[in-house]
Amino acid sequence: MTALTLALSKGRILEESLPMLARIGLDPAGDIDRLLRVPSRTPGVSLLIIRPTDVPTYVEYGAADLGIVGKDVLMEHGSTGLYEPLDLDIAKCRLSVAAQKDAPKRDPRRRLRVATKYPEITRRHFADKGEQVEIIKLYGSMELAPLVGLADVIVDLVATGGTLRANGLIETEVICQVSSRLVVNKASLKTKHAEIAALLDQIRRAGQTLKAA
Amino acid sequence: MKKWMLPAGVEEALPPVSWQLEDLRRKLLDQYRKQRYELVHPPLIEHLDALLTGTAQDSEQQVFKLTDPDSGRLLGLRSDMTPQAARIAARHYRDRDIVRLCYLGTVLRSRTGSLGEPRSPRQVGCEIFGEAGIAADLEVLRLMLKTLKLAGLKKVHLDLGHVGIYRAVIAKLGLSVEDEAALFEIVQRKSHPDLAEFVSVRKLKPRVAKAISQLLDLNGGVDVLARARDAFPNASGEIDAALTALEKIVGELRTEMPKLPIHLDLAELRGYRYHTGMVFAAFVSGHGREIARGGRYDGVGAEFGAARPATGFSADLNELLRLGA
Repeated sequence: MTALTLALSKGRILEESLPMLARIGLDPAGDIDRLLRVPSRTPGVSLLIIRPTDVPTYVEYGAADLGIVGKDVLMEHGSTGLYEPLDLDIAKCRLSVAAQKDAPKRDPRRRLRVATKYPEITRRHFADKGEQVEIIKLYGSMELAPLVGLADVIVDLVATGGTLRANGLIETEVICQVSSRLVVNKASLKTKHAEIAALLDQIRRAGQTLKAA
Repeated sequence: MKKWMLPAGVEEALPPVSWQLEDLRRKLLDQYRKQRYELVHPPLIEHLDALLTGTAQDSEQQVFKLTDPDSGRLLGLRSDMTPQAARIAARHYRDRDIVRLCYLGTVLRSRTGSLGEPRSPRQVGCEIFGEAGIAADLEVLRLMLKTLKLAGLKKVHLDLGHVGIYRAVIAKLGLSVEDEAALFEIVQRKSHPDLAEFVSVRKLKPRVAKAISQLLDLNGGVDVLARARDAFPNASGEIDAALTALEKIVGELRTEMPKLPIHLDLAELRGYRYHTGMVFAAFVSGHGREIARGGRYDGVGAEFGAARPATGFSADLNELLRLGA
C-alpha cells in the first residue's frame, strides 16, 4: 500500500477525532503528547500532530495527504486549493459576534472596532452586511478586548458560551456553524486515488456508526 | 530590507542550473520544431485589455500593471502567454486554417493561485488553433507527456476532465453571477457539506442537486466513465458529447500508453471560465500541485477578429527541471 500521511489538529479536534480514528485502526501507536509525528496502528499511515491553523498549509503543499481541521480555519485560510469532501460532525461550535452586555453607546462617527483571530472571516462577514469595520487581530483571550475598550465587539468561536458569560459578554450574532472537516490534497487524490477513496469510505462509515451509537 | 534580496516568489538561475535550463529549453524547442510548431516570442508587456482575453479572463488580479507615459493607456506584464499566442494566431495567421504555435519565456504574476507557486515561472507551452476534433486534443496531450518525458519526469499521472458536463448540469439553473461563483468554489473543493447547504439555501431542484453531488464523486480510474453513464443514463446533447469525447480519448491513450496511470475527475473545472471541452493536467507523486495543464478553449481570438477552436498545454520550465531526473 502507498504510504499516507494524515495531519491532525492538536487540541479539542484531536480528542474528538480519536474515537473515530480508533474505529478504523488509525489511532496513534505512539506518545502523541510528545511526538509530532507518530505511526498509526495501520502500517503505512502516519499521523502529524500540529496546530490547527497549520493543517491547511501542510495539506495544500502535500506534506500531508489528508487532514482534519475546523471549518473556521478553512474559511480563514480561504482558498480552493484543497478538497473538503467530508463533514466529520465533531468539535461542533459556532463563530459568533459578541459584545459587552451593557456596553456604553458607541460614537457613530467612528468605525466599529472588532477584535478577532479571524480577520478574513470578519472582514467578509461585515462586508456582506455593507459595513466597513476596523479589525484588530489578536491571538487569544478575545473576551478581554471589549472590557478594556480595545474593541467594541469580538468575533470568536463559541462552544457553550460559558467564557462569554463569565466575562459579561453576550452573543449578538451567529456568523456560521463550525465542525471539523476532512481535507485532501488535490494531487494526492489523483495519484493515490484507490487508497484515499477507501479511507474516505471507512471514515464516512465510522462517523455514521458513531453517530448512531 | 537588504538590497541583494529578490522580491518574494522571484527566482534567478545560476550555473549549473542555468545551463541545465538551457539544455532542457533546446531539447523541448527542438522537439516542437520537429513536430512543426512555430516558435513565437510575444512581448513582455502589452496593453492590458489585450492580455485579459481568452484564457486570461480571470487573471486580472495576477497581472502587474503600469501606465504607459506615452499613450496614457494601462499596460500589463504578461502573466500567461496563451492569450498572446491566441492574438498572434488570430492576427498573423488568419489565412491559415490550422496553426501550431509554441512559446517559452518568463511570465510574471503579482500573486499566485495556491501556496508555494512561484511568481516568475518560465512558461513553456504549445497550442493548436483551428482544429476542433479530438485528434488535436490527443496531439497536445501526447506532446505534453513527451515534454515531461524529455524533462526526465518519472511516474507521471494524467488527470482528465471535461467542463461541458458541469456546464450542462447548471445551464438551466439561471444562477446569479455571485451564486454561480459560490457554487463553482464549492465544486472546486468537492465539499459535500457546503453543497448541501447551498442547495437548501438556494432551493435548488433535487434533481439538479443530485447531479452536482454525483459529479463531486465522479473521480477515480477509468471506470469513472462507466459510472458517469449510469449517473446520467439519458444523457443527451452536451453531456453525451463530453462523455463520448472522453471515452474516445481514454481509449486511444490506453492503447498507445498502457502503463500511463489515467485519473478522471468530472468535477475538475480548471480554467472553467474559458475552457470549453476536455481539460487535463499532469501530476507526479510527492508534488502537491499539478506540473502541467491544458485543455480546449474554442472560440478564442474573437476579440481579435478571428474566432477559432483551440487546444493546448503549458508548464513551468523551472519546475520541470526541479522535478525531473
